[in-house]
Amino acid sequence: MSNSVAKYTFLLGILLLLHAAYSAAQHRSYLRLTEQEFTSLPADIILQTIFSLLLAVYGVTMVAGDFKEIRSNIDLQKKTWKNLNNRPSFYTFNHRGHIFNPILLTRTGTGKGALEAN
Amino acid sequence: MEKQSKHWEDVRDLFRNWREENCRQSEDVVDLWKEVLANHFGKLGDEGWLVLEQVFIAALDCHSMEIANFCLSKLNQEFPDSMRVKRLKAMKYEALERYEDALDILDLIIKKDETNAASRKRKVTIYKSQGMIIEAIKELTDYLRIFMADQEAWMELSDLYISQQEWNKAAFCVEELMLHSPFNHLYLQRYAEIKYTQGGYENLEIARSYYAQAAKLNPNNVRALYGLLLTSVHMASNSKCPSQKKKESIKLSEWATNQLSQLQSSNDSKLFSSQILEGMGNLQIGNDSKN
Repeated sequence: MSNSVAKYTFLLGILLLLHAAYSAAQHRSYLRLTEQEFTSLPADIILQTIFSLLLAVYGVTMVAGDFKEIRSNIDLQKKTWKNLNNRPSFYTFNHRGHIFNPILLTRTGTGKGALEAN
Repeated sequence: MEKQSKHWEDVRDLFRNWREENCRQSEDVVDLWKEVLANHFGKLGDEGWLVLEQVFIAALDCHSMEIANFCLSKLNQEFPDSMRVKRLKAMKYEALERYEDALDILDLIIKKDETNAASRKRKVTIYKSQGMIIEAIKELTDYLRIFMADQEAWMELSDLYISQQEWNKAAFCVEELMLHSPFNHLYLQRYAEIKYTQGGYENLEIARSYYAQAAKLNPNNVRALYGLLLTSVHMASNSKCPSQKKKESIKLSEWATNQLSQLQSSNDSKLFSSQILEGMGNLQIGNDSKN
């Protein structure tokens, strides 16, 4: 749900930004027509630009999802030696596993245990 | 039946998780494959080939040759000229202990494609399975001369050296790993363990500093905490230790004991015992004991 809200926020921000740009261009051409000097944009256009930028940035960060932890060691704390030590390219198969094979064949339904545990 | 059709997506996600984490739970993989995924194989799409490879290796581990042959034939059907599938065939010969056939296939692959890293690694594994550790080490060092950034290979080499009790060379390999990921507390702990095993006052010092760094990075690493406790206690009771370092070591051992007792009380584990912690402090190597 929050994903679609974020998407609409982002879209709204972009549209407002485009609208502010268009009105700024229109303002300048108006000044050119009436031969006035161009000093600065009117305050409401500036406010609209900044507000729409913030809206778009907020929308993007919400869509992008959760931030990762900045401290690298926190991420690594979850790793265990049991999995880190496994080297898939170097797996050997001459262990005792094949002796257990007949026992494995007679077992039933143990796979579901792993599914529920995870 | 309905329960199974709801679950197959969970099983697929579980398999993906296990692939990324390098988990070697072969029995569970084979069981789950037989019960759930084999019936829904068509729905897996491209991921199905990765799952087939995973199930193939798990089946070799459990020595379920029918499943292994089924996976291999399906992969062969889809990718008839693939080096990767040929390598899996060599793995099957390895599992059946037909090492010469496996070596033939691998040599063929290497001749066709000099850059194929995985086949060279399988050759090392074949030597290792036959117990020819020295040849395995030689093959692996040649491999590492070409492919220097392969972390798996460095880890494997350090394990091979440890089995041959060549502590210096094993420490060198772990140093390479630490260069790649200096914030990984497990590599630091492993290095400290090798240095501690070597023994001698200087190595104890090095071990203590690496254990301290590992404990700093991950205060939940019980093994690093125990290592810190033991090395600082041994250093403090060593005659070569200057008094300032002795005080430092005693403080470190007290900190480590506190951390361990905190972890014990928070985990409420029956395996931990405060008696063990107290007993650890009294552990001495035979020659140093003055009691």
